[in-house]
Amino acid sequence: MSVLARSVGNAFRNKVRTAAVVAVLAVAIGLALAMLVANQAVTGKVAELNASVGTVLTVNPAGGQGFEGGGEPLTSAQAATAAAVPNVSSVVGTKALRLRNAAEIAAGAASGRTGQGGPGGQSATSVTTSLKAAVDAGTLGNRNQAASGTSGTGTTGSTTAAAPAFSLPITATGIGAEVDSTGKGLQLTQGTGLGNYTAASTGALLGTTLAEKNGLNVGSKFTIQDQTFTVKGLFDAGTAFGNNALYVTLPTAQTLAALPGELSTMIVTVNSMENVDAAKAALQAALGSGKADVTQGQRNLQTAVSSLDSVKNISFIAFVAALGTAGLIILLIMVMLVRERRREIGVLKAIGAPNRTIGLQFVLEALVLVALGSVVGAAVASFASGGIASALISSSSSTTATGQRGGTGGFPGGGFPGGQGGPLGGASQLLTSVTASASPGVIAAGIAAVFGVAIIGALVPALLTARIRPIEVLRGE
Amino acid sequence: MIEVKNLVRTFKSGDRNIKPVNDVSFELEQGTLASIVGKSGSGKSTLLSLLGALDKPTSGDVVVNGVSLASMPDGKLTKYRRRDIGFVFQQFALIPNLSAVDNVMLPMEFAGVRKAARAERARQLLEQVQLDPDKHVRRINRLSGGEQQRVAIARALANEPKLILADEPTGNLDEQTGEHIIELLSTLSRDHNTTILVVTHDRALANKTDRRFRLQQGRLTEEPARNRATAAVTG
Repeated sequence: MSVLARSVGNAFRNKVRTAAVVAVLAVAIGLALAMLVANQAVTGKVAELNASVGTVLTVNPAGGQGFEGGGEPLTSAQAATAAAVPNVSSVVGTKALRLRNAAEIAAGAASGRTGQGGPGGQSATSVTTSLKAAVDAGTLGNRNQAASGTSGTGTTGSTTAAAPAFSLPITATGIGAEVDSTGKGLQLTQGTGLGNYTAASTGALLGTTLAEKNGLNVGSKFTIQDQTFTVKGLFDAGTAFGNNALYVTLPTAQTLAALPGELSTMIVTVNSMENVDAAKAALQAALGSGKADVTQGQRNLQTAVSSLDSVKNISFIAFVAALGTAGLIILLIMVMLVRERRREIGVLKAIGAPNRTIGLQFVLEALVLVALGSVVGAAVASFASGGIASALISSSSSTTATGQRGGTGGFPGGGFPGGQGGPLGGASQLLTSVTASASPGVIAAGIAAVFGVAIIGALVPALLTARIRPIEVLRGE
Repeated sequence: MIEVKNLVRTFKSGDRNIKPVNDVSFELEQGTLASIVGKSGSGKSTLLSLLGALDKPTSGDVVVNGVSLASMPDGKLTKYRRRDIGFVFQQFALIPNLSAVDNVMLPMEFAGVRKAARAERARQLLEQVQLDPDKHVRRINRLSGGEQQRVAIARALANEPKLILADEPTGNLDEQTGEHIIELLSTLSRDHNTTILVVTHDRALANKTDRRFRLQQGRLTEEPARNRATAAVTG
């Protein structure tokens, strides 16, 4: 019988006690793993925020944003200027279009109501489509339309006939890479991307609700300006507004708008968080303050990130505490076992067992108990980690979300797709979108940490065995 | 050959110094079956623990085949116990949750004997001490006292030691089983050329050994031998 076999046998000597020890260990280990899973999920989210939003600058035309304001549009030449600014790692141009259902425009024309174009003279980029908007105008949409419907190039007909119901436009955005207007990667739920985003194509990515409203799937066809497009993929922006949108490649959008080389925004990614401020200043100087407005999402997300950071810290402290508890349990159990088996240890020494063999036997016995506790603990963690993480995050984010509500309004009847509503980027949504799933890698890392602590916990009593003198056996006789 | 030279072991008890072993010297030839008798508390077990390197003497030395135990570090003493000594304890001192064969295999495992070889030797030894084969894999706590003592003797023989030290090996056994155990030890001493030193307070048992010592107030004297001439004994 090997040392390992003897250790396994010893671990099950007293089955009731073993079950009790395993149960207590499982609770501690399960809690430790759940906290680690929560910690990893939050750490991942913070890294994602820092990588995608924290280092992203948004460039809008000076005095304009989305379909609001005025000023001169951005150009491809300015994108090249931006790309040459130090510490800028990438520049992605976007071109936003407002799509209106062709049949509704025709019906509006027949009833004398025309020009449902956007405010601020941006209706030049309004184009027709076979798609119907997935969002009803409702009170807000109709109010916005009433306030702005006569502006710009739109005209109000003189007829007194009842106008057909106003429907919201669909935002189509031409993008130079597979990112939304905040620089975040698109979350494709079906299909593929558009491939080369810097070349014209007839492919499009649709928001899930827009596709559902129009009965479209990957491979389905629809039209924009009488040109047929194929749905290449569906994305989930996480909001109703964001999912009432579609993406095409940048050159396609420019061609549809008949404005080649014109950009609505530029998404500028800086190489690191530390260089964001310097890059922002350099970018503003390079583009000229009268030509472009450079904004930074990071500042507005600071509260959200700091809230996530506190969750990260709490979960890490709880992980360490639970880990320490598991180690302490092992230490105490093994000290008890060593005291209980003094005579047996003395016998083993009397018949020539080296101290290291006896110590190893006790360490292995502890690891057997920890292994059993880890199996049960991992099962507990896989069920509980999601709930624990959600509880931690929701309690931490409620204050943050309330504090930020006033700043997440977005632009009336239009704005950016993806529901980001501006540079704030939906901090509260990002907070609650943290999902803690017990991945095998995290569980394995957690169990490795548990085993490390258990070895330390078991070493102390194992070293105690070296102090037991075999003479005590004979004296006991 | 075992030489014991002026062995002294002193314990402190309050203000007093107690000497359970007081200037003991004797020699034992290889293959001798010897006994030490004495009353309870006379120092028999202390002397045995000194011979078996379980305890260190206050002064004096034990020399086994020319090697002094007094100068050995702890690691070498462990090795000495593993290779050169076999212990048989009154309470058997077996590992209760292991089977008979596993208990016998333990000293061989510590000595680095390969698993198959130690399993085979353990089986042979258990047969030699006449333990029923169906009880070889039985847990120790499901064996009788006599059977447990046979397993303990088999374990003591596992690494073919030069010296077997038996502390009251029949103390917990009935008379008939005790007789069998003594017969067994006598046979082993003869067949394996193993020196066996038995500590007992049982005179009948002592009378069956080759040499008989009496320990009284820490001092050892040799009583008339059964089979062979008395060796030089002092103390």
